[in-house]
Amino acid sequence: MDRAERLPEDLDVLVIGTGAGGAPLLARLAAAGLKVAALEAGVRHPPEEIATDEVAQAGLFWMDERLSAGQDPVPFGRNNSGRGVGGSTLHYTAYTPRAQPDDLKLRTEFGVGEDWPLEFSELEPYYDELEYFLGVSGPAEYPWGPQRRRAYRHPPLPLNGAARLMQRACAEIGMRTSPAANAALSRSQEQPGYGTRHTCTNRGFCQAGCSVGAKASMDVTFLALAEAHGAQIVDGAQVTALTVQGGRMTGAEFLWNGQLHHLGARTVVLAAGAVETPRLLLLGGLANSSGQVGRNFMAHVGVQVWGQVEEDLRPYKGIPGGLISEDTHRLPGLVGGYLLQSLGVMPVTYATQYARGTLTWGPDLIEHLRGYTHVAGINVLGECLPYEHNFLELSDEPDARGLPKPRIHFSFGENEKKMTAHAEALMRDLWGRVGARDVWALPRAAHTLGTARMGHDPQTSVVDPFGRAHDLTGLWICDNSTFPSSLSVNPALTQMALSLRTADALTGDLKVRA
Amino acid sequence: MTQAEREAILELLNSPQVTGPTRRALQERLDARFVREFFDETGFARLRAVATRLVPHDPAEIDLAGMVDHRLHAGSGDGWRYADAPPDGEAYRRLLRALPQAFETLAPEAQDAALQDVQSAHPRAFEDLLAELTEGFMAHPLTQYRFGYVGFADAQGWLHVGPGELEPWEEHHGPR
Ligand SMILES: Cc1cc2nc3c(=O)[nH]c(=O)nc-3n(C[C@H](O)[C@H](O)[C@H](O)COP(=O)(O)OP(=O)(O)OC[C@H]3O[C@@H](n4cnc5c(N)ncnc54)[C@H](O)[C@@H]3O)c2cc1C
Ligand code: SF4
Repeated sequence: MDRAERLPEDLDVLVIGTGAGGAPLLARLAAAGLKVAALEAGVRHPPEEIATDEVAQAGLFWMDERLSAGQDPVPFGRNNSGRGVGGSTLHYTAYTPRAQPDDLKLRTEFGVGEDWPLEFSELEPYYDELEYFLGVSGPAEYPWGPQRRRAYRHPPLPLNGAARLMQRACAEIGMRTSPAANAALSRSQEQPGYGTRHTCTNRGFCQAGCSVGAKASMDVTFLALAEAHGAQIVDGAQVTALTVQGGRMTGAEFLWNGQLHHLGARTVVLAAGAVETPRLLLLGGLANSSGQVGRNFMAHVGVQVWGQVEEDLRPYKGIPGGLISEDTHRLPGLVGGYLLQSLGVMPVTYATQYARGTLTWGPDLIEHLRGYTHVAGINVLGECLPYEHNFLELSDEPDARGLPKPRIHFSFGENEKKMTAHAEALMRDLWGRVGARDVWALPRAAHTLGTARMGHDPQTSVVDPFGRAHDLTGLWICDNSTFPSSLSVNPALTQMALSLRTADALTGDLKVRA
Repeated sequence: MTQAEREAILELLNSPQVTGPTRRALQERLDARFVREFFDETGFARLRAVATRLVPHDPAEIDLAGMVDHRLHAGSGDGWRYADAPPDGEAYRRLLRALPQAFETLAPEAQDAALQDVQSAHPRAFEDLLAELTEGFMAHPLTQYRFGYVGFADAQGWLHVGPGELEPWEEHHGPR
């Protein structure tokens, strides 16, 4: 069904949000024969309507205003989260590295941060399944992490300009690199419930949406499968309140076609992302006996280094993150580590980052931007520890719907500052080796994580290791808010693995109850 | 924009090299003109003068001040703002008010000096305005043409992605 005309009734499970957390689970539950539906604030963005233009694609992003506080305020909007059937996967870069086993044991290894309440071996089968289902393209041998049990389904995507430069520079200093794992197709693939997904055309606009279905966003993968199994997705439906009766969830209230509606369900899965999920919980005063809702907000260390090279590099071409190195996974003097990625970039993103990052204006700005086709980028993604001083709260400023805007406090701690400095020095060295001019660095934080963390102990966490709310019967949480630590890898693949794992636990529970 | 530039831009946009959704977005932007709605006349004249110093451009070709005015009138935003700053419209108004009398008629050097002062006094608003103007500038088909950018020619995809490897239509778009 293209657009839900009638609301579903008598639901087993209602899912709120259709991103990396909500979508895999929706498909799994529907395939298990459960009556499921999803409410999604955003609308559908079919590939054939996607323009190769950043401004035209702004509608993929969550544009309700968020307030950014702290020493290192996090930009949201186009930088940090999505809105649409498919959530942030509509505009993710499709980088899909796996977490390494020690990522899950930070406290054990370093005495700070948090351990995950689960083992790598519990994620591994889901990683295997996901990489095949999504059609991840990657190298035959991946140099880091445990030996893989199943090869990547497709060969790696071609390396673009920045990737080749990074490869050359890293080789000079003896750093290993590898073509990255990307959830974008180097060969076409039949996708159950969707049809044929085409090969990536190298148009480099992953962060503005994929127009050919090559990228494994949720709409062309899990959500298509979910609908084929009878799940109903109600788009343009923004949840404004969770409803509870006698200590158990009863459903959700939402705005749809300009009117307030209610959908009832025996179980609700909240998968609205690490800002909207804690916001909804705080609005209702729910699931928060631990006081942990909204706490421990984390955003990966994401410093980027840019320069311009002699060659005509055309940074808009090729999969943006073609090359990776995890040789910096552990470094002396740092808690955790980071991975290094080459960077393609779209013109408007580059230009606005340059303006904000360097505050260059006037003729100097124009002169620099004129060199856009020669721009080469490289960045890192590194561990961010959970801190008392980083949190989300409700402000007293109402949004257009009359709900309080969220205010997010974020400041790097010592470890993040040291890591940023280490990474910047390394990348400046590498870019010096490829002869880059006008080199500049943009310290940055990426991804929104950790505001409703999982754990065994109801005193210090919001959900259990499978996503069940400690405090409220019938409520599960499945999105980036449950991450106890940030991991030193991009979060989407692990999020999808958690989603399938939660679905399996949830079907188990429902069977027991039946 | 010269007639030749306009023709070259439209020729590529109207060709089968560009998909429908991309073509529609860029054609609309190429000719976008805005009627002032948010600022008063003085404020708008001042915004325009500021915009041409921050991101040098010809307002007759690319209406950046009009674009900002239009956005504020429509009440849309970019999804976040610094918690210690007022809403965008108010922040911009304050920034413009902080400029000296008759800013529009000052010599360019004096304008730049005044802009440096408001940059230190209103750093958040200055950064936001600079970023917004830069976005409008870089997203415009005329700028893209002049900078030899052709990434919007998306219909057939790219076969050559390595350094210095160009497709024929990449080489030929842009001023000689
Ligand atoms: C530009 C960008 C690039 C990225 N690249 C990568 C990458 O290469 N690799 C990687 O691993 N990760 C990447 N990420 C991160 C990745 O996209 C996220 O980790 C992942 O999508 C998070 O999943 P989620 O389910 O928590 O949230 P989301 O995917 O954001 O989904 C949340 C959904 O809930 C909906 N929603 C929110 N509130 C409500 C409400 N009240 N009512 C109804 N619906 C609601 C939203 O509209 C949204 O669709 C990137 C992110 C960005 C912003
Ligand atoms: S680079 Fe490939 S995967 Fe990314 S948006 Fe373009 S076609 Fe899709």
